[in-house]
Amino acid sequence: MSDVPTLLTLILVNPIVAAALIWIFGRKRHNLAAGISVLSAGIGMVAGLLILLQVWDGKALYGGPLQIEWLTLGSWTLNIGLYLNEISAAMLGVVTFVGFWIHVFSLGYMQGDAGKGRFFGGLSIFMFSMLGIVLADNLFMVFIFWELVGFSSYMLIGHYLTDEAAAASRKAFIVNRVGDFGFLLGIIMIFWQFGTTDLIALGEQGVAVSTVVGLLFFCGVLGKSAQMPLHVWLPDAMAGPTPISALIHAATMVAAGVFLLARTYFLFDDTALQVIGWIGTITALSAAIWAFAQRDIKKILAYSTLSQLGYMVAAFGLGTLFGRHYHGEGHSEYAALWGVGAAMFHLTTHAFFKALMFLGSGSVIHACHHEQDIFKMGGLWKKMPITGTTFFIGLIAIAGVPFVGAGFFSKDLILVLAKGQSAPAFYILTFTALLTATYMGRLFVITFLGKANSEHAEHAKETPWTMWLPLVVLSLFSVGAIWGLELFPKGVKPLFYDYVLHAEGSEFTLMVIISAVASLVGITFAYIFYGAGASSDRLETAVKPLWAFSRSRFFFDEIYSWYVKNTQDRVAVFVDFFDALFIGGLGVRGSAGATGLVGLMARSFHGGNVAVYVWSFFIGVVVVWVIASDAVTSLF
Amino acid sequence: MSAPLTLAFLEGLRPILEGVESSGFSHIALVLAVIFPLCMAISMSLGGAMSDLFAKAAAMLGFIVPAVLSLLLAVVYYGQDYAGGYAFEILKDTGLGNFGIYFHLGLNGISMPLFVLAGIVGLAAGGYAVSGKIEKIRIYLILLLVMQAGLMGTFASVDVLFFYLFHEFALIPTFILIAMWGGRGRRSVALEMSIYLTLGAMLTLAGLLLLYLKSDAVAFNMIELRAYASSVENGGLISALLLLGFGVLVSLFPFHSWAPNGYATAPASNAMLHAGVLKKFGLYGLVQIVLPLLPADFIVWSPTLMWLALGNIIIIGFVTMAQRDLKMMLGNASVMHMGYAFLGLFAFSAVGVGGAVLMMFAHGLSIALLFLLADVIERRSGTTEFSELGGMAKEAPVLAAFFIAATMASIGLPGFANFWGEFAIFVSLWESATPWVIAPAVAGIVISAVYGLRAVSKIFFGEAKATYEGGDLTALEKWPALVLLIGLLAVGFWPRLVSDDVDAAVQDIIRTAEPALAATSQDVIVAER
Repeated sequence: MSDVPTLLTLILVNPIVAAALIWIFGRKRHNLAAGISVLSAGIGMVAGLLILLQVWDGKALYGGPLQIEWLTLGSWTLNIGLYLNEISAAMLGVVTFVGFWIHVFSLGYMQGDAGKGRFFGGLSIFMFSMLGIVLADNLFMVFIFWELVGFSSYMLIGHYLTDEAAAASRKAFIVNRVGDFGFLLGIIMIFWQFGTTDLIALGEQGVAVSTVVGLLFFCGVLGKSAQMPLHVWLPDAMAGPTPISALIHAATMVAAGVFLLARTYFLFDDTALQVIGWIGTITALSAAIWAFAQRDIKKILAYSTLSQLGYMVAAFGLGTLFGRHYHGEGHSEYAALWGVGAAMFHLTTHAFFKALMFLGSGSVIHACHHEQDIFKMGGLWKKMPITGTTFFIGLIAIAGVPFVGAGFFSKDLILVLAKGQSAPAFYILTFTALLTATYMGRLFVITFLGKANSEHAEHAKETPWTMWLPLVVLSLFSVGAIWGLELFPKGVKPLFYDYVLHAEGSEFTLMVIISAVASLVGITFAYIFYGAGASSDRLETAVKPLWAFSRSRFFFDEIYSWYVKNTQDRVAVFVDFFDALFIGGLGVRGSAGATGLVGLMARSFHGGNVAVYVWSFFIGVVVVWVIASDAVTSLF
Repeated sequence: MSAPLTLAFLEGLRPILEGVESSGFSHIALVLAVIFPLCMAISMSLGGAMSDLFAKAAAMLGFIVPAVLSLLLAVVYYGQDYAGGYAFEILKDTGLGNFGIYFHLGLNGISMPLFVLAGIVGLAAGGYAVSGKIEKIRIYLILLLVMQAGLMGTFASVDVLFFYLFHEFALIPTFILIAMWGGRGRRSVALEMSIYLTLGAMLTLAGLLLLYLKSDAVAFNMIELRAYASSVENGGLISALLLLGFGVLVSLFPFHSWAPNGYATAPASNAMLHAGVLKKFGLYGLVQIVLPLLPADFIVWSPTLMWLALGNIIIIGFVTMAQRDLKMMLGNASVMHMGYAFLGLFAFSAVGVGGAVLMMFAHGLSIALLFLLADVIERRSGTTEFSELGGMAKEAPVLAAFFIAATMASIGLPGFANFWGEFAIFVSLWESATPWVIAPAVAGIVISAVYGLRAVSKIFFGEAKATYEGGDLTALEKWPALVLLIGLLAVGFWPRLVSDDVDAAVQDIIRTAEPALAATSQDVIVAER
């Protein structure tokens, strides 16, 4: 029961069984649905932890025997199989653990929702799809589950069935499909180049694909991990229920892109890595800038997520590039994996503290009767001490306060690599760290400090235990010190210890100083500039141009809607007109020869009499028969 | 895990299956599946006065029997090692033996799934027909039964002439059904469709007759002809005729304009049978006849075919996006998806052609389901215009769930059968004569997502703009939809239910084609390497 293959199969299969049970029995029995879903997530978490225990003493390697041939056509075979290595073991831990606590949180948050059964069914489908990506042993299988997480995300964003939800869910799905367009091309090209998409086999080949193929493949990451220019769907996705934002659009699904990069790091050549690194860097900076003009607590967190994902992608691109060409002294055995280590480390810490903050925002929204504007909150720490305290821990973590915040350790790694690879990227990412502390400080001081700015905030109360308990659990892992302990099994350990380049000596001092200055100055500045429990945005009133710059979000959404409205839709209408007029109209009905024929045949058919049709058919058959036989006999 | 399980299950069934096979029951079952709906149609038309209820029950029997028999035959076929070859063959002289024409039925790896498709979609279409209030229901059901017999016969025929005749048999009721029970502009639509499809069918017939005359074959059937694959004269002309004729019947761009109007106007059950099953006749003919027999000539025409197929995907894709009416959108979407199947044939490899066959099977189920659900929406709201619909998910959550599932199937979400077909076709294109074609083809997945999700959000999200009468899916409406959905999911989860036999049969076709290719166009092969 407890060997690794059985556990892996159990982890992957149990959520889809849960989803099926919910579909059959739980559509109207809401509590049953919730129970099944939470139970399944619990089984997943326990099995996930058992796997970590199994690999406690050794390398987390498992792959092969479970492969099943799923489809064969000619020279193409698609297999389904599971592959556990240190990267997927870490991801597995994150997804099952964070996933379970978000399930628990949802019990409270979704209480009384009309579509609760549907919601929990969707959660289970999501867990199945996400774990499929994590455990997949080949790229075709990754693609299958990649599409399925897109679908679960679509369903859950659209949960409230409003027009806003409709638009947001559609946007998410379509933007991701744009990314998948390149992703699929990339996968197919990789398949024909190597004759396989098996991750182990590809890793052994050790040959990078061409820049174009690498970047096509990367398009999938652009969509799923919401990197520029395909980032536009993520802020809108906040239209979904808050637990969804925490689980799918912060902790796990959006990180799937980064995870995939880590899993396939060997595929990319230097040019591709350069591009990837810069896309990440620019995304990190831009999203941090945009966060300043947001008033909606979830939107601020969404832009923060974008920015942090940018960090991870930048870490992967710049770090891998740096490591690959590293010729310095010592610890170069794993140099090619430095990017992977830094990206995955940040992914892991981010999953905890961002899920924490999203759930915290959910707790706040729940307490304030679905008020999401931070300027109508204020003074909530006193009214909601657990939520306030845990959110503060989240703030410390994301700001990267040295040694205390979990984000310090992972961001530190990224900055070291960026410094080694590219000075401009290093400065940009450092500046972004300052911005991060500032906008998160803004969120915190306005929401939790000072006094209440609205009726709802005035009457806010701490939420039930199903909601605050997950906050407490997640906040433990957002405390930096935890990450200093030897909490990891040896199977996962290389990822966080060997694959990372630790700063040493003066460089380490520099990193501590940078992090200390960025985080403390940022938060303090936010406190002074915005003021505790502010009811209006001081940036908007005091420094309008800067606010407008942030507010513009660099016009991506405007450009895309302009494209859809003025190009895509117009082309569609034009082509439709062309089709109806020239092909359907002139071509078919109008052409001279056809007209005669139409006239001729119209008369014979126009009676609308069934008998005529039947008779003409039989006459036709007889005539054909006679002609056919005559023709045959006369020829031979 | 499920592979060994399925196999073990079949292993256990093997003695029974062999018993069925050796007792000759399967041959009877095959003939019965074709003849039975026709017998029911005849007895219903000759029988005296009967209540609507009796007529409905009798008709349902006429749909259930072929569906059950087709599934039974599929199980027998799946459990035996036919390796994609013909099984259950039956041969009867019809007085045309001198010309090598026989009543010759049988099923191989390609026709088996389509035969099952015809059975399942027929069952769903029949089931849906009896669920509503339709005037002159008896005649309506008789026509549907005739159509069903034609469909079963088309895919069961080994003899090429009977293959064609059965198709005509299914086609004629379509015109009558549209002309009498259709929606807006039914007369003119029925007329346009009749002329267009009759022309297509005539071109096909001319091509088929010419093929028989110009080959040295002594029998006019699909098995026999293959032995004479390389001996066909005037192959260019014949393949042109067949491509054009079959192309018209499958709504190849720019010969597609009959389809959207026709389907939007046709009564639901008819649209389900036509778009779901009958339309596959042309593709099926290309796969079973043209590819193995005239490969070299097909290769000559294939660049043209590729461009036209891209027309289906891109141009009709955009046309689909511009539609403001659900049924028109579905009609156009079904034209668009045929482009993928054509591209699969264009790739001319086991992956591509196999993908095209999977696609035909899956698309048949999904489009039939969509037309069924679209008609339910029309029953509830009296319209299919997007601008007049909205907010239906709250009124009819089950209908919404079915519609979203069907839309997801048709836009190629994994877990539904359509995904495997599309995916295999995409994979094959990179190894085709012109690899770049993969890019515009894959771009289609974005286009289909745009229109598919737009339909979902216009109909089901937001505030209700119309009043809906009748509530959610009724039990009578639900079971036909469920039959189709289960088919999509079953093959979606375990594609080898279909793909193993398709693969074997398609590989056989590619093998048959190879000598002819090698003999006539060395240069093409050299260029490909």
